[in-house]
Amino acid sequence: MEEDIITIRDLNVAYQDKPALWHINLDIKENSRTAIVGPNGAGKSTMIKTVMKLIRPVSGNIKIAGRTDKGVLKTIAYVPQKGEVNWDFPTTVLDVVLMGRYVHKGWIKRPNRKDKEIALKALKTMKMEAFRDRQISELSGGQRQRAFLARAIAQDADIYVMDEPLQGIDITTENLIIDVIRQLQEDGKTFIVVHHQLNTVKEYFDHVVILNKTVIASGPVDAVFTEENIETAYREKGIRT
Amino acid sequence: MMDILTSFTFLIVAVGTMVLAFAGGMVGTISVMKGQSLIGDAIGHATFPGIVLAFMLIGVKETYTLAIGAVLFGILAFLAIQMITSHSKVTLDGALALVLSSFFGLGMALMSFVQGNPDFEGTQGLNDYIFGQAAYMLRSDVYLIITASFISLFILGAFYNQIRIYVFDPVFSRTAGINNNLMNFIILVVTILLISVGLKAVGAILIVNLLIAPAVIGQLWSSRFSIVLLIAGCSGSIAAFLGTYISTAGQDIATGPAIILTLSALMVLSLFLAPKGIMRRSIYKRRMGGDMP
Repeated sequence: MEEDIITIRDLNVAYQDKPALWHINLDIKENSRTAIVGPNGAGKSTMIKTVMKLIRPVSGNIKIAGRTDKGVLKTIAYVPQKGEVNWDFPTTVLDVVLMGRYVHKGWIKRPNRKDKEIALKALKTMKMEAFRDRQISELSGGQRQRAFLARAIAQDADIYVMDEPLQGIDITTENLIIDVIRQLQEDGKTFIVVHHQLNTVKEYFDHVVILNKTVIASGPVDAVFTEENIETAYREKGIRT
Repeated sequence: MMDILTSFTFLIVAVGTMVLAFAGGMVGTISVMKGQSLIGDAIGHATFPGIVLAFMLIGVKETYTLAIGAVLFGILAFLAIQMITSHSKVTLDGALALVLSSFFGLGMALMSFVQGNPDFEGTQGLNDYIFGQAAYMLRSDVYLIITASFISLFILGAFYNQIRIYVFDPVFSRTAGINNNLMNFIILVVTILLISVGLKAVGAILIVNLLIAPAVIGQLWSSRFSIVLLIAGCSGSIAAFLGTYISTAGQDIATGPAIILTLSALMVLSLFLAPKGIMRRSIYKRRMGGDMP
């Protein structure tokens, strides 16, 4: 796991006139479980959205597996934050997971039996088979998160980008998600996870990026997740969670 | 009664409004789920001055010319809404109300100018575009409705997968390589198209109901997107048939209100009887001692 799968150079992002991220230089190791931590408003979501080309940076460049074209995004599975999805949309859990297969289908082709098998397997991994015909609006927070991770698994991506997946979910789901992340890492996948609990970083991740508008520190958890670096990132706000 | 049902004119008009309502119900369901139902209302009202202006320029009430006038003003209204919301502090609902009333006001002013004016002849039918009058629909009106509805349904079918993903989860849809702007554009174009061709049948004021009410009915009956779309389309068609019949039978009843009242009746019925309606919910509550999930 020595290769860098994502390299970010001199990245600057602004909302209207306000700078959100400045002078970001960052390498994400291939096959790592990388946490992105930082205080509220540090630009964690902004950074992953910029990587996903959902936000256009003011300057800088981002290479994903050596590529900069839009097509490379198909190799990334994005698990959104709760607020970004239309929960009243009439759709079942299985349908949501099948959406992950769209990436491999393109325009007109509908999912076939093989896609369905892949989707069902993903649901099984997330222990959600019993909920396959359930309406997405009827799920609890933890079940929703599992369904979306199942969609990401069905997408069969190389990189998983997750925005606070452990926010507001039950402990069983939290453990399950972490287990699945570990399993998928063994299959060669890379994880980039916005994370808000500092006390679990060491247990859940092997790499960490400490962010507050700019990169305070990044690297293996053991080396850079130090009191000093955390202090620097959180000093401004004076909050520790 | 049989006279009307077997009359060729009635049949062709009924088929026209049914096809329109079917397509309208489907497209409307997408707008409603995107939380944009009132944009359809603003566009509906805003097409009216387009009709009157097109008439003033050409001098005859020719189906295609009037429809082009309506489409152009529909687009103009949408651009106005966009400009107001992005360049001022006015919120979307404010902008919608503003555009709706000022465009419709312009249409009314133009119409009263034209109607008293000896330079313009044959103005009496313009009223029909406010409330709709199926009885006076021409064969060409119906052909236009059918063509536009089929084009809309075809576009919807072709982009069904993308639209579904986009409406449910726009962030994922972008990352999955779906062009969100294109999806938005398609939904808008189809909405404007259907409104413009449906004006004579349903009228500028009420046409939005053809987009919204079927969506509400569909959502009460099913939890699957495809079925919701289908139910929305069918309930629109049923209401269109009954409404057109009522309007044709009683010459003085405008078609728009007749269709919309029928739709409202279907909606109230669904609200009570549908799986996600009030009655089932209260039965569930009583039996299970809790609210439905």
